[in-house]
Amino acid sequence: MNSAPCLGPSVSATFESLKAGLDVRAGGRIVAAVADAFATGFPALDEALSGGFPRGTVGTFEGAPSAGKTALVAGMLARATADGLAAIVDDGSLYPPDLERAGVVLERLLIATAVSPLEIARSADILLRAKAFSLVVMPAVPLRGTVWSRLCGLAQKSGTLLLSLALHPSTELAYFASTRVRCAIDRVVWADGSGLMGGLAGYEMHAHVLKHKRAAPGAVARLHIGAAS
Amino acid sequence: MILCVHVPTFGLALARRDRPDIGDDEPAVLADKPDRGRVIEVDSGAHALGARVGHTVLQARAAADRVHVLVHDAQHAHATWMDMLDALDAVSPLVDDSGEGTAYLEMRGINGDADAWMRRALHALRGFDLPVRAAVAENKFLAYARTYAPDDNIGKLPLHVLQIDPRAIERLHLLGVHRLEELAALPHGPFVRRFGKEAAVWHERARGIDPTPLRPRAHELQIDAAVFGEGSAQALEQVLFALRVLADRVCRDLERAGRATNTVKLTFECENGDLREVDAGFAQATGDPRVMLDVIRAKLEPIVFDAPVTGLRMQAMQLEECGAVATLFGQNGADPQALAVALARLQAATGSMPQRAHTRPAAVLERRYGFEEFRVASTSSAVLRRAQDDRGGAQDDTAIIPQLKLLTVKEIDVTMNANAPQRVQHKRVLNCAGPWRVDDGWFHDPVVRDEYDVLLEDGMLCRIYRQGSHWYLRGSYD
Repeated sequence: MNSAPCLGPSVSATFESLKAGLDVRAGGRIVAAVADAFATGFPALDEALSGGFPRGTVGTFEGAPSAGKTALVAGMLARATADGLAAIVDDGSLYPPDLERAGVVLERLLIATAVSPLEIARSADILLRAKAFSLVVMPAVPLRGTVWSRLCGLAQKSGTLLLSLALHPSTELAYFASTRVRCAIDRVVWADGSGLMGGLAGYEMHAHVLKHKRAAPGAVARLHIGAAS
Repeated sequence: MILCVHVPTFGLALARRDRPDIGDDEPAVLADKPDRGRVIEVDSGAHALGARVGHTVLQARAAADRVHVLVHDAQHAHATWMDMLDALDAVSPLVDDSGEGTAYLEMRGINGDADAWMRRALHALRGFDLPVRAAVAENKFLAYARTYAPDDNIGKLPLHVLQIDPRAIERLHLLGVHRLEELAALPHGPFVRRFGKEAAVWHERARGIDPTPLRPRAHELQIDAAVFGEGSAQALEQVLFALRVLADRVCRDLERAGRATNTVKLTFECENGDLREVDAGFAQATGDPRVMLDVIRAKLEPIVFDAPVTGLRMQAMQLEECGAVATLFGQNGADPQALAVALARLQAATGSMPQRAHTRPAAVLERRYGFEEFRVASTSSAVLRRAQDDRGGAQDDTAIIPQLKLLTVKEIDVTMNANAPQRVQHKRVLNCAGPWRVDDGWFHDPVVRDEYDVLLEDGMLCRIYRQGSHWYLRGSYD
């Protein structure tokens, strides 16, 4: 004789809370609420990411040079250093005055200089093990799958978000990254026009969520100069 | 009972000891500098010839032409005196250091009589080869005075035994007072009224009264542990095992002493005779062997020994009372010790210390920032508060600020049209801002160039500059 599964009251309550927390239908697209997300500080991007990058995972910002990846990361570093420590593995291209303009508290940003892929991987490994940083940023370098696997495990154990900036992510990185965002600049905004009196004011850009292991991918965030909208 | 150990003119006696070519009966003075110095100590022979404390070396030589002038070595004298005090610890546990050359020992409760105590003290200091005197009395002054009066007739001693201002002694001499017994015979009240409050102490001492308490010196605490002569370690695991044992021992001693250490100094002795020292500093004082070992391991990562390790010594440095100021790390709750370990490991992995950046106003973009060592101690709650104040609390929206990424400077081809770049590396320029003239460092390292921000047809946004007739790519925006 078949009988309907009988769930106890506590199990049912748990199921209901999970359902309420995870599945929210919006505009025909399933949006999962990402618990304990690292908000990027750009509301449009946070909405596209269902709250932000999940902590304890590996995420990527991808795109061609001058795609606005570093500008978005600078915004995230500003949030991370406002109330804690952040770290960046620098390959020699860092320009601190622009980071400061973006709001990064330089005193709370650890800069580990590493050049070779091995040094970069080891540095990221050590920074994740320290469990002292809410955000660790590293350049995307060709690493074996086992290395990315270890970095993923360490990020998960430490609850740290490991962000990688990539032109074209390797197959391994694309596989192990929980969240992938492709950036592109739509328009460069110049202050006071061009020429002698002109200057670079900012970008209008869009960010496309290519992959999100804990929410639906495919969302596109349009970001404007100044505060995101 | 107090035992006084005294070396008259200690500095001079020490300098004389180190100059065996000078005979005991030859007069000598001690000067603070070789030629243009002043005399700081005089022996009886030189005094008889007319040399005095305070004379210049020239004056002393003029007064006593046969006098030897020796130069004071303060560091050596201090080290020798500390060694002598350590040796006196074998005579009594309570040793009062009254300055170089004089020490008082509390002898109450120690076996033996006065003669035995003096013999023990002289025996303990025999190896220093200095004219040491010892005497026992009820108080410090009497004991000191007896070192000058072997026959116990203190009253016959001259006034300089009181160790008072020479000008006061001269005034007393004018009154016909030359010896302690003559001073003791003066009426107390009128004498004190005439010579001031401190004269009361002189008068009491001349009568054998000295209430000055004995102040035992504090012993400098040294905590260390060592492994020597137990074979050699060829593998890392063996060294780490020995380190773990030593860390346990050191931490047990620290716990007993109620102390924590800020740094441990490791000394490795290798089979080929190499001696290598490694300092491992902690983020905050610790007495935890696990923390100690974590930092030590991180410090040892880049070190390669050429030969097996045969000896190991771990010394706790910069000891302080237990208890450390907690460092707030905001919401992260980061462990400063874990951060210190990470810093040490990063240094080992990359060969350079992790850094933090700072900015400064400058015309040339390369001079607008600098780096300094990232230190745990400076990552304090004050920085956090400042950060929050600067930003006015939690931020909701973040501006998109273009970020310049510095590239290795390389020369590029640029075509100009109407004083603006038209093509960069054969790519069409869509938009351009500049030029901005940078003219700086004319006085030592001149930089004169025109900088432009250009947007190329392939979407690249670059910072380029012209220096002389050449064009260079400085960086790209991202």
